[in-house]
Amino acid sequence: MAARLAFDAIVVGGGPAGVAAAITMARGGLEVVLIERGRFAGAKNLFGGVLYTRALAEVLPDYWERRPPLERPVTEQGYWLLSPDSAVRFQHKSEQYKSEPAEAYTALRARFDAWFAAQASEEGVLVITKTTVNEVRRDDKGRTLGVATDRPEGDVDAPIVVIAEGVNNLLTQRLGLAKGDLPPRYVALSVKEVIGLPADEIESRFGLAGAHEGVAIDVFGDATLGLPGTGFLYTDTKAVSIGVGLLLEEFVYHNLRPYEVLARFKAHPVVGPYLAGGTSLEYGAHLIPEQGYDRMPQLAGDGVLVAGDAACMVDALHREGTNLAMTAGRLAGETALQAHCEQDFSASSLRAYRRLLEDSFVLKDLKQYRRMTDFLDRSPHFMGTYANFINEAAQRYFTAHTMPKREMGREILGLLRERRSFFGVAQDMMRLLRGMRG
Amino acid sequence: MRERQHQSLSSELLAGLPRVDVDDLIASVKYEVDDDFAHLWIKDPGVCVGCQAKPCLDFCPVGVYRLDRSGKVMIGYQACVECGSCRVGCPFLNIGWALPRGGYGVAYKFG
Repeated sequence: MAARLAFDAIVVGGGPAGVAAAITMARGGLEVVLIERGRFAGAKNLFGGVLYTRALAEVLPDYWERRPPLERPVTEQGYWLLSPDSAVRFQHKSEQYKSEPAEAYTALRARFDAWFAAQASEEGVLVITKTTVNEVRRDDKGRTLGVATDRPEGDVDAPIVVIAEGVNNLLTQRLGLAKGDLPPRYVALSVKEVIGLPADEIESRFGLAGAHEGVAIDVFGDATLGLPGTGFLYTDTKAVSIGVGLLLEEFVYHNLRPYEVLARFKAHPVVGPYLAGGTSLEYGAHLIPEQGYDRMPQLAGDGVLVAGDAACMVDALHREGTNLAMTAGRLAGETALQAHCEQDFSASSLRAYRRLLEDSFVLKDLKQYRRMTDFLDRSPHFMGTYANFINEAAQRYFTAHTMPKREMGREILGLLRERRSFFGVAQDMMRLLRGMRG
Repeated sequence: MRERQHQSLSSELLAGLPRVDVDDLIASVKYEVDDDFAHLWIKDPGVCVGCQAKPCLDFCPVGVYRLDRSGKVMIGYQACVECGSCRVGCPFLNIGWALPRGGYGVAYKFG
């Protein structure tokens, strides 16, 4: 490189948070470079996954005309509670979900993120791929100078860096913004398989009228062996995404192999028929930061802002992540624009970013559910106990015995008492309510 | 920090888990292998010798960690999908973990 590369802002990471930040800053008139370590933006990224369009529209109001590579609109969603041999399903399907563009779509991240980064290029962002950022460079007063990359003479200069490096937030840690590495009890390991099936086969199995309908189901109970975690089953255009995630500490403690837990879930008598005859197109794994509001990294430092998974912006209860990431990226971009106006990149100036997030759903939701992580942490039996109970209760309820219904009711209560004392149930419900109410 | 309580799993349930050849599973994953840089390493092999549970052999979602004939933990970093589980899940934090060099490592087609 002949001259040093100098920009107004650097973004580390080409996922939803980074690209949203880059687009926002470029549209505001800054010279922006986005550095992605993968062969293309999205190469390292994997989610369930459902993507929500409202946060995307706030970054790119005309995103729909730019034809994003989305899979199916989510026109039906819900929960399955699995016991080892049965399921209670609770699903909501509505014509209201069919607006175009819809509020939520299933998506595959290698495709979506690549498209999103291409939109950033169109907005004037220089997108550099295949380049790993090793360090945020700072002067002896702690002011940010730019980043060092693994390219020869690979330093890039800018007074502000948006760190959207993802869940493995090594830069965030090295800057001292995160206290230590991810805690295994508050981080979920999720494994996923994309299983190819003809579109009409998917539609007939899931009861869909065509490519304009799709399903997103979250699965509790036996999917995760009754341990804290969730399974999921989402319809893509010509594939079904199926996966299972548990707190990493559960895998470690029980010496479980994630792919065996997934194989068991796939073979469940209620799940299996949806996948029968499909071709495994891709397997993958990813961590999900579920530290919650109280264990988030600091979001701003001198010349740096942190967004997305790197800042553990995940609402696990509602399986939301990319929308928090895009909104945080956009707000980080707006903060950087303001900092450029005032030529003040100090940590105190950049704290405006946190205030913007506090006014948005991002920190409001994370704050509201701050106790959910602790709830699962303290009640690891919850999923298994109640999923099994509800299945057994349903079995009794839907069977015509030669038994008076009043006795049946008592028997159902007895099933619950076998599992949990009256006090235990009351305590579980209290904790759950507290977790939801914030 | 308070020790976490764990729910016990029945031995039938554990014995009933389907056996999966993880190599079949990762055959679908695309990698750009960096022959010159192993981005995973064991910090102190002596620690692994003293580790009874060796959970890394099981919890790594792509089976990067395996035992050789002498019972030593071997790292097949080429199969790594860069999830980060080993770095934080090793009970002794004995696994060194760096990002692969730019352009190398996993490259999902679907993600």
